[in-house]
Amino acid sequence: MSKVYFSTWNGESINNIGKPEEEWEESAYNLPASYDDHRDSKAFIGWDGVSLFDEDVDVIRLAMEYAAQYQEYSEACGRCAPGRWGGRILYDQLDKIARGEGAIADLDHLKEIGKSMQVTSKCEIGKTVPNPILDLMTHFEAEFMECINEQKKSKHYDDEVGYIAKITAPCTDMCPAHVDIPGYIEGVRDLKFNESLEATRQTMPLAHVCGRVCPHPCEDACRRTNLDEPIAIMELKRLGADYETDHGFGFFHPMKKKKPTGKKVAVIGAGPAGLTTAYYLAAEGVEVDCYEALPVLGGEVTVGVPEYRMPWDKYAQDIECVRDMGVNFILNHKVSADEMREFETSYDATMIASGTRLSKAVRCDNEREEVQGYWGAIDFLDWVNLYEKFDIKTPKAIQEQQMLPADYVDLTGKTVACVGGGFTSMDVVRCSIRAGAKRVIMIYRRDEKTIIRNTTYEEYHEAVEEGVEFIFHSAVNTMNDEDDVLKSLLIDKFELVPDPNGGRAQLVKIEGASETIEVDYLIPAVSQSADFSHLPEEWELEMTSWASLKTNGKDYMTSRKGVFAAGDCEYGPMTIVNAVGQAKRAASVMSRYIETGEITLTDDEIMEDHLNKLKVYDKKEKVTGWLPGVPRERSEVLETEIRKHNNEEVNFGFTQDQAISEANRCMRCYYIAMVAT
Amino acid sequence: MINFKINGVPVEAQKGETILQVARRNDMYIPTMCYLAKATPNASCRMCIVEAQGVDGFVLSCNTPPTEGSEFKTDSDALYTERQNIMKLYNVNHPLQCGVCDKSGECDLQNKTLEFGVAEQTFATKDQKRKAKKWGVLSYDPGLCIMCEKCTAVCNEVVGSEALYIKPGGYKSVIDNHYSSCIQCGECISVCPVGAMASTDFKYKANAWELNKVPSACAHCSSACNLNYEVKDGSIYRVTNEDDYDSLCGAGRFGYDFENKVESKDSEAFAKVVAGFKDAKSIRFKSMITNEEAYLLQALKKEHGYNLINDEAKAFQEFLTAYSTSSGETLYSGDLDGVQKSDYAVTLGCSISNDNPMVRFALAQAVKRNKAYVGMMHPIEDSSIQNIVTQHFKHEVGSEEGLIAMLCNYFVNDEGKTLYKSFFDSLDSGYISGESSIGEEEFELLKTKMIRKKAPVIILGADLYSHPKAKNIAKMAGMLNRYSDFEVVMIPSDTNTLGVSLICDLDDEEISPTVGYNAEADITLSSLGNGTLDMPALNQQEGTFTTVNKEVVPLNAALSYNGYELSDIANELGVSCENVIDFTSELPKTKGFNGSEFDALQNYYTNSGEQVRGYKLKVKSKKPTKPSVDEISEIKEYNGSVVYSCNTISQFNLFTDKADQIIDKALLNGSQQFADVAKIHSGDDVTFTIDGKTFTRKFHLNNKLKGTIAFNPDFDSVQKSALYRYQQVKVERV
Repeated sequence: MSKVYFSTWNGESINNIGKPEEEWEESAYNLPASYDDHRDSKAFIGWDGVSLFDEDVDVIRLAMEYAAQYQEYSEACGRCAPGRWGGRILYDQLDKIARGEGAIADLDHLKEIGKSMQVTSKCEIGKTVPNPILDLMTHFEAEFMECINEQKKSKHYDDEVGYIAKITAPCTDMCPAHVDIPGYIEGVRDLKFNESLEATRQTMPLAHVCGRVCPHPCEDACRRTNLDEPIAIMELKRLGADYETDHGFGFFHPMKKKKPTGKKVAVIGAGPAGLTTAYYLAAEGVEVDCYEALPVLGGEVTVGVPEYRMPWDKYAQDIECVRDMGVNFILNHKVSADEMREFETSYDATMIASGTRLSKAVRCDNEREEVQGYWGAIDFLDWVNLYEKFDIKTPKAIQEQQMLPADYVDLTGKTVACVGGGFTSMDVVRCSIRAGAKRVIMIYRRDEKTIIRNTTYEEYHEAVEEGVEFIFHSAVNTMNDEDDVLKSLLIDKFELVPDPNGGRAQLVKIEGASETIEVDYLIPAVSQSADFSHLPEEWELEMTSWASLKTNGKDYMTSRKGVFAAGDCEYGPMTIVNAVGQAKRAASVMSRYIETGEITLTDDEIMEDHLNKLKVYDKKEKVTGWLPGVPRERSEVLETEIRKHNNEEVNFGFTQDQAISEANRCMRCYYIAMVAT
Repeated sequence: MINFKINGVPVEAQKGETILQVARRNDMYIPTMCYLAKATPNASCRMCIVEAQGVDGFVLSCNTPPTEGSEFKTDSDALYTERQNIMKLYNVNHPLQCGVCDKSGECDLQNKTLEFGVAEQTFATKDQKRKAKKWGVLSYDPGLCIMCEKCTAVCNEVVGSEALYIKPGGYKSVIDNHYSSCIQCGECISVCPVGAMASTDFKYKANAWELNKVPSACAHCSSACNLNYEVKDGSIYRVTNEDDYDSLCGAGRFGYDFENKVESKDSEAFAKVVAGFKDAKSIRFKSMITNEEAYLLQALKKEHGYNLINDEAKAFQEFLTAYSTSSGETLYSGDLDGVQKSDYAVTLGCSISNDNPMVRFALAQAVKRNKAYVGMMHPIEDSSIQNIVTQHFKHEVGSEEGLIAMLCNYFVNDEGKTLYKSFFDSLDSGYISGESSIGEEEFELLKTKMIRKKAPVIILGADLYSHPKAKNIAKMAGMLNRYSDFEVVMIPSDTNTLGVSLICDLDDEEISPTVGYNAEADITLSSLGNGTLDMPALNQQEGTFTTVNKEVVPLNAALSYNGYELSDIANELGVSCENVIDFTSELPKTKGFNGSEFDALQNYYTNSGEQVRGYKLKVKSKKPTKPSVDEISEIKEYNGSVVYSCNTISQFNLFTDKADQIIDKALLNGSQQFADVAKIHSGDDVTFTIDGKTFTRKFHLNNKLKGTIAFNPDFDSVQKSALYRYQQVKVERV
């Protein structure tokens, strides 16, 4: 909701001109009426209409400046005839009117070219740039006519007005890392894979990873869904990275590394958040020391995500790309609180990106860590992956505690129960199959639909194919042990009882339905918490109610000046792309902070946040100009019988034909938004 | 199959076809400006919009696959209005210079402006300053450019050099060129629909409608690409081709002015040559010769017992024969079309960017369109094709025999392994690995990359035909072809080497006296005009070539020739014919020729882009009896300075050298390492001797090269040598 003077956003028709403020009808949308702390917006113009927050707006100049933006962005580019000429004609004609040299025929030309652009342009920029311009011409015809008839300049033509524009797309907006998705898909469509990769790396250095293991929220905001099926956005990401790796090129960095500035930053953790922070700061010429407690780089993506989902040799390429930008990695180094204190003087800023690596408890009766067979998911996956990827043997203490017959995780003949429902639990059960377990059970509180929503359709079905048993609407009541060796679990059953008052349905235990299942292992994968033992107590860093480091979610600085946090340790356990997105923003803020001591956001970032609040994707929009029913491509996967016995990558990825077909389905939904201050 | 309708007519689409492709296949017209059939759609002009039933707005037919039961209309008032508007936009600020523009008369902008009745311009905008550029053979005028992106698409997808690129900037957008990557092939010029990307040489020389198009085949390499010589007043002004479907390299497109201008018949020289023939015991000739003239030489041999000497063709002939003993087929199985469609290609003994440009184009397309794996086995790394080659096997010179043995080891099936048991038992992969410097893990990678690949091909090049163990290599190639999924393509070493090796019984021993036809001898026939008697050049002859794709393709004479021809000599020697093309139908059926008359040979393209040109040779099968492959020999070491007989991209022979626009000089091209070993500096004049022949060259230091092998061109030699392409030499400063 926002207070507007006038708005045509998304088809609403609000005209408060001449009305007293108390009688103003509000806009249903979160328009950016206030730009930032010291600037208010006068107007907001974008792909879906125009909104005015102030009476004193020069609407003609607003339209002209908006058309000018079309010439500024390379995405606006000029890659189609109506866009390239049309966009320029819009600008020139509007300027002609605005500077007092217009004619009535100009209005007709504007309408005609606007309509042609809407109907024939290659992408949404060409199609939508005329929208708000035509709106203004319709609703403020009098002003246009005045300038034409009196051959005079528009009211603020010569004044200093701030116009801040940003290009976006529904998918880009939804992506936590705001990846230039239409850009990298265009690289695929053009068969210029280096350009595709560079487009991705503008905001995300880990192209191999996010092309494989992302829950792709972007696909939930894909406009193609309004027509038939969303684009397989994630699948198309790895093509650029594969090209770079397969042909043995150096790394395609989207920016040139700047000269050393003499500033230094410490990054705690070399997982996705740490790597991303390091990459973008190093690009700015900052010296970055990245400390990693484990003997290997990559954080949870390395030790948590299994080889069959995220092959190590590919992630290693992403990490090398970061290193190539000029980052120092220090392995086997768990930073202590004393060191953190010391960093305050020896570095210009510190980034805490230490993740959430402590498995939470299931909270059942007799849940005790000493019971052999009780194994936290994070620790379990650590030892599975360290062995599979690096030949690092499981330490004797753990071998004994978890009754392993050898020096790696071998579950032959055993029964494993995992409690969870998220990605970590899927990794646990599928790794258990590959470790030779006789029976693998997933105990999940809710139903099949929900588990698919919390992970992905593919992940769930591949697990089922591999033989994982899913027991829905269940939870562990008690762990039964004999001399501290796990023997069985008492499982309670639940049902979803609808609220008679129409509220949320409740899970209610079904009395008498509980059953006992014999198990050798219980692996809780019910979320994680962070290990903050490295934070100096006297800093008293502010925490959220769920025990993660608190920041304002915009600049990622903690309550202590110069100490930043991003990724799971800030947000709570979340996705890789979320960590990358936070870290990218944080790196940008940090790069300015270490120079000026100030915490600032760029205009680009302010606009990014505004648009995110406004919501770019409209699921009700009727899409025209495309043939519906063109099916989404699906990549081939390794046969079940082969893959469940090894760690071969399951997803083969797209063939080139599939990639080109899928890229051609993309509608290139770039939009331009602009604020006048 | 997808069933749908266009303009009420029921049509069918294969998987992957677009509405436009189906329409064209069914002779239904949809206007396009930016569509290039041989590349992926650019979707930039928007002219091909069509109406779809039940859909609001227009659908773009060039990049949309039809769905089952969909119905489309290609024309309507609304479509016409929008197309007309697009043409108006294309004409905004387009200089009205049709009177002097080279493209006039064959300009798509002219055509479509007329078609859509754009009689007046209602749109206007300020023109933007964009600089005109000259890039060697190309000249770019951005003022004429409509940013259709056909040039960047062809450079990226078909040629694979990725030199041209789009510099976006709204209305200010232009095309720019990474000039150091530009191979000067001129594909961009041929696809440009307007006069923006033009030939520097052709500028202001002639109008399109004044030129007479003579279809023929390029004479410079075994691809013998289809082209048109465009002629006016007894000169060739330029070469064009069917750019929507076919390609040409720089040699074909710019190396056309090599005709032998002869005033009249020189009867004195003729008599001398006829006498020479009567005395001669051998005829030495170059493979830049038509099938018919090769047939004539063979007929002369039959009549008079001449030894036919063509070392380079003989090497190829023996290679092919040896190959047949184990493959069981008279010819190799693959062609460049197959390479383009493949998803796994290994090259052995072939300098991909230089030897036959169509190989490079085919591999570039295979990589771009099929994500093909390309394993290049060659002693010299080529950074200019890093985007095409996925794995480079930098092997020791001379180790090709061991390498193909390893390929057999990895890919030959059980049946083959059993049949050749003693060979495989004797194979010492450790030894081969060590001697070739290709580690076993590199071979393992080659095998891993084969997983899920469906169309593997191996390309054999001219490094192999004169290898000391050429025959054994050929036999292994035959084994690989018969007992694995690999198709085999052999790149003939000269234009019509394949034709010559099929038509002529070639001899080993040259017995004096010798008559040379475009070859060195005491009495010579020369198409360059520097022999005893002049002969017509290949742009002045009718006849056919046998291409690398095993096709028999026609040549037509672009220019007339006023002197004596080979047939005149033959008539004096008892082999009579009226025209040399009388022999087209006589070409040996036993070798796969089909007896067609020359005039019956077709040359056209279908609407789907299929080329119908001449005919394909028939490959005969014969089950191999007692096939055998020898054990691998010890690999000789090539220490010190080594030179590699290889030309730069557009130079092939003295004829391309004669052409005005082909300017590469014959320099010795080497790396810093080579210079260090030979103790020479860039710009030095150096000499070295190979098999008694002394070369004097200027040394050019190329920082992109690595290693101790330098490139020694052979285009300035009269005839191609039959020596192994790598030779150890002592390089001395002059």
